[in-house]
Amino acid sequence: MKALSGVAVRAIAAAVPTDVARTQDYEYLNPEERLRFQKATGIASRHIVRDGQCASDLCIAAAEQTFEYLDWSRESVGALVLITQTGDQPVPATAIVIQQKLGLPQNCVAFDVNLGCSSYPYGLAIVGSMMQSLGINRALLLIGDVSSRVCAKHDKSSWPLFGDAGSATALELDEHATPIHLDLMSDGSGKDAIIIPGGGLASKRPPPLQGTVQMEASADGILRRPDNLILRGADIFSFAISKVPLSIRRVVDAGGTTPDDIDLLVLHQANKMINDTIAKKLGFTPDKVPTSIEHYGNTSSASIPVTLCTNASLFREARTIAVSGFGVGLSWGSAVLQVPANSILTCVESDAIY
Amino acid sequence: MTIEAFIEKFSFAIEVEPSTLDADTDFKALDIWDSLNTLSIIAMADADFNVALSGQDVESSRTVGDLWQIVKAKSKLP
Repeated sequence: MKALSGVAVRAIAAAVPTDVARTQDYEYLNPEERLRFQKATGIASRHIVRDGQCASDLCIAAAEQTFEYLDWSRESVGALVLITQTGDQPVPATAIVIQQKLGLPQNCVAFDVNLGCSSYPYGLAIVGSMMQSLGINRALLLIGDVSSRVCAKHDKSSWPLFGDAGSATALELDEHATPIHLDLMSDGSGKDAIIIPGGGLASKRPPPLQGTVQMEASADGILRRPDNLILRGADIFSFAISKVPLSIRRVVDAGGTTPDDIDLLVLHQANKMINDTIAKKLGFTPDKVPTSIEHYGNTSSASIPVTLCTNASLFREARTIAVSGFGVGLSWGSAVLQVPANSILTCVESDAIY
Repeated sequence: MTIEAFIEKFSFAIEVEPSTLDADTDFKALDIWDSLNTLSIIAMADADFNVALSGQDVESSRTVGDLWQIVKAKSKLP
């Protein structure tokens, strides 16, 4: 089992756009369906970007919060990793553009990682282990997605679920830090459960994608562009309730702890039914499982930091938390980590375009 | 576990009276059926029968009895 020593969380921030899309206003469901959807998923509203705002903008807004709180000099940041599946452009990596926009030095390592709902535990592993092995003292882990820009608005199986958000986690080498325990998993046989099939090179061979982009009916009968997201909710649901509790149990056991030692369980926010089932299986009472889905929907890769920051008042003292992200890939992972007192910053709203 | 018990759990999951369902009920043709019910059925199979049903399992079943056959077969796996 994997553990990461000597890396401490210093601050976690999250940003969402100001525009709110309410489930009760979604025109492609009738009023009765809207109520039923809200009850089952737990989603009452989501925050959606206006034209032009990107995942980078939301992540920069969050990163600025961490700089303000920590009083770090920009020169002291040695690595910036962005995890997103909705980057600003295919090439170059968005993280490199953010390095310049945040005023980070040229000796800052910067690159993107293509992961979704499992980003948080994976990001801690990637950035933390790189800090350790390369001796990078301070790093920023940025995670965010603007899923509203890749879902078709009339697609009832995806559009009303997703909200947009960005986040920033500031990490620092600290020999006294409590080890972060990790459990990281992959299963490519489930690649079609959540997929954007078009836009990559596989979809262009042969024939090349040419001319105007046409809507086509997918297997579920819904018209989509090839670069729209397809979500098979039932398969994700089945995967999540069977695989995720085992992952969390492994990581809690690996740390020599029991669920009683964990102050809070912070789950990816996909669907209330999924999270209620996972919490129940593991014996966590609802008061130990904070949520953000009711206000922000499924914020994809950013859901764990968004949930932390939505519940910042629970972190006035140091906490031991278990986190678990699961979804697109299929990819899933869990971590147990220490969060210092007051290091979770309140979620901010921002429409800034940097 | 019997099919009667499965029908009762099935009806509870989709919030209808057990008496309105039997093994031959074409459940996807029910007025109240929608994709959220698929999730409820998967959750029920997991909680009450310790069986991981896929979306495809529900999709490929026409009747409650068809789905019971899948649950029974899967519950015998180690």
